[in-house]
Amino acid sequence: MGLTGLEIFKQLPKTNCKDCGHPTCLAFAMALASGKESLDKCPHVSAAAREALDSASAPPIALVKIGVGENAVELGNETVLFRHDKRFEHPTAIAISVCDTMSADEITAKVAQINKLVFDRVGQVHKVNLVAVGNCSGDADKYAAAVKLVAENTQFPLVLMSENPAAVEKALELVAAQKPLVCGANAGNYEAMTNLAKKYDVPMVVKGSNLDELADLVEKVVALGHKQLILDSGARDVAKVLFDQTQIRRQALKRFRAFGYPTIAFAQNDDPVQAVIEAGVYIAKYAAVVVIDSADPADVLPLITLRLNIYTDPQKPIAVECKIYEIGNVTPESPVFITTNFSLTYFCVAGDVEASRVPGYIIPVDTDGISVMTGWAAGKFTPEKITETINSLGLADKVSHRKLIIPGGVAVLSGKLQELSGWEVLVGPRESAGIPTFLKQRWNA
Amino acid sequence: MILIGERINGMFKDIREAILNKDPEPVRHWAKRQYEAGAHYLDVNTGPTVEAKDQPKVMEWLVNICNETVPLPCCIDSTNPEAIEAGCAANKHGKVMINSTHADQWKMDIYIPMAVKYNAALIGLAMNEKGVPKSAADRAALAMEIVVNADAHGLPMEDLYIDPLMLPVNVAQEHGLEVLEAIRQIKALAPGVRTTLGLSNSSQRCTNRHLLNRTFLIMAMACGLDSAIADVDDPELINAVAAANLFLNKEIYCDSFLKTFRQR
Repeated sequence: MGLTGLEIFKQLPKTNCKDCGHPTCLAFAMALASGKESLDKCPHVSAAAREALDSASAPPIALVKIGVGENAVELGNETVLFRHDKRFEHPTAIAISVCDTMSADEITAKVAQINKLVFDRVGQVHKVNLVAVGNCSGDADKYAAAVKLVAENTQFPLVLMSENPAAVEKALELVAAQKPLVCGANAGNYEAMTNLAKKYDVPMVVKGSNLDELADLVEKVVALGHKQLILDSGARDVAKVLFDQTQIRRQALKRFRAFGYPTIAFAQNDDPVQAVIEAGVYIAKYAAVVVIDSADPADVLPLITLRLNIYTDPQKPIAVECKIYEIGNVTPESPVFITTNFSLTYFCVAGDVEASRVPGYIIPVDTDGISVMTGWAAGKFTPEKITETINSLGLADKVSHRKLIIPGGVAVLSGKLQELSGWEVLVGPRESAGIPTFLKQRWNA
Repeated sequence: MILIGERINGMFKDIREAILNKDPEPVRHWAKRQYEAGAHYLDVNTGPTVEAKDQPKVMEWLVNICNETVPLPCCIDSTNPEAIEAGCAANKHGKVMINSTHADQWKMDIYIPMAVKYNAALIGLAMNEKGVPKSAADRAALAMEIVVNADAHGLPMEDLYIDPLMLPVNVAQEHGLEVLEAIRQIKALAPGVRTTLGLSNSSQRCTNRHLLNRTFLIMAMACGLDSAIADVDDPELINAVAAANLFLNKEIYCDSFLKTFRQR
């Protein structure tokens, strides 16, 4: 993304010396903005200005990686405030916490529970991402032992939650190769923490007690040479977190460099229902990592689902899986409806078949997630495709009859489809809302 | 698209006579009519027949009548700084607009601080005493002068409206493309800076003026035009703007988009 003329002009020395070949610094700024000139032509530009202009070409929010291998998570690189403007890029990583005050058995049991937080949603596997190990004891050796135990029992990357550099160092000696997130640095310990994070080349959380202190601290950490950062404004009350998350994202998109990193939020309310609601807010409002305490699948499943929905690409039609769906207590005599796998289309049909109170089968043909009329116009909803789909899904083994009901909008397909498939084709209503009436009049009539 | 109704201008005979006779009725009539047509601002200009020393008083009188009649802010149109200041002080609704400064330093030194003082929007013409530049690049360079000066005085970029100056198509046809390109370039000068056009100028002494005006307006909107001083009494122009807003994804489509656009 390019800089505007004004932003460039502000970084120029304003000497109007003409050494760049332009009559004024202003003219030079304009030439730079339009890409007709290179900054190298100006011999007087300061190193700081050069840095500022160079960094402007970097994305507004840095990409930060936690972990290694297939369970590694990437965060950041976001470019919008609202998902409908483009899309949210990297789904929020969900971290579940354990404490070093728990006994070895308790830790192993909770980690085993966390490992099982893997869910099947719309044909894909979705899971939690991180295990956060808290240094609740305050003791470095105890902490290192807990971290070791967790690391041995899970494939998920770790979050080392301790603000004690001695404890973090002991833990890093054991697990640095897995690239855990160090959480982290604050105004009191940032030099020691940054040196550790640099030494082991791991990402680190920077925590300020408010946005001002956070910005200040980030600049200090960057000056020490570490840029794999995740931000924590220190807020824990949900209203304040919402405010801070919004500000951090908004300022980052305006290229405020200190806030150009992913964020972490903590939904650690004692009331699990409240904690889930808070985590939901953070998932919707820009948090890159959310830490929760509960490993109860009932608490985690709604968050996984919300994350999946929020981070889908709104520009891409959402498709349902192409398979035989059974609505109600179907029998081999139940009717078969053919439609497309655009989720809106499928759910319309499914809702109306359900409303008819006649159990039925629905087959959403794979049209790359586009609607019936669009699929027909694009040549993706053809008699050939429908025939191939019912054959490959083995529909003939499911039902005793040989009848297909197609959408009324594509009535013209009926002859060819009947010929190709060998099934009798009934042309249904144009709108799925007419299915209940259609079934009354035409099915078993 | 911010529409500035052009009609309350002493260049028109009815307004000139209204000023002469101290008769507020024609001004009220046009304030109301432009408001109902969908204007967001009322341009107010005393016209050149009012003597310079009387212009501040006349401006204040005009602005007061507009303010009493409709809840729209005025766009104070004058080459006389005292008249502009009087208009800014009299405006009671919304954000007053100053029309205009040139890129000449002495003019910017008057009008930019005045805009900041009255929390006003400011129209900056991309020209100087040498006249209207020909190329898009020269227009953008003059616009940049205004942008930098406005920024130095702390005028928010959202309050700066740069006018790249359109000339009549019958005598200066080659300017059209340059103005369209200049609008694109001006939008890239600074974050948030806005653009405007004195639209009716593009069709001075041409036939089919309404057609020419609205065609150029829609082309300019596609290049990023934010505002225009225009004949809002032309319903086809308003219809075209409402339609263009849909294609530019500035407003959500509905079947009654012509009506909703007029309701603001």
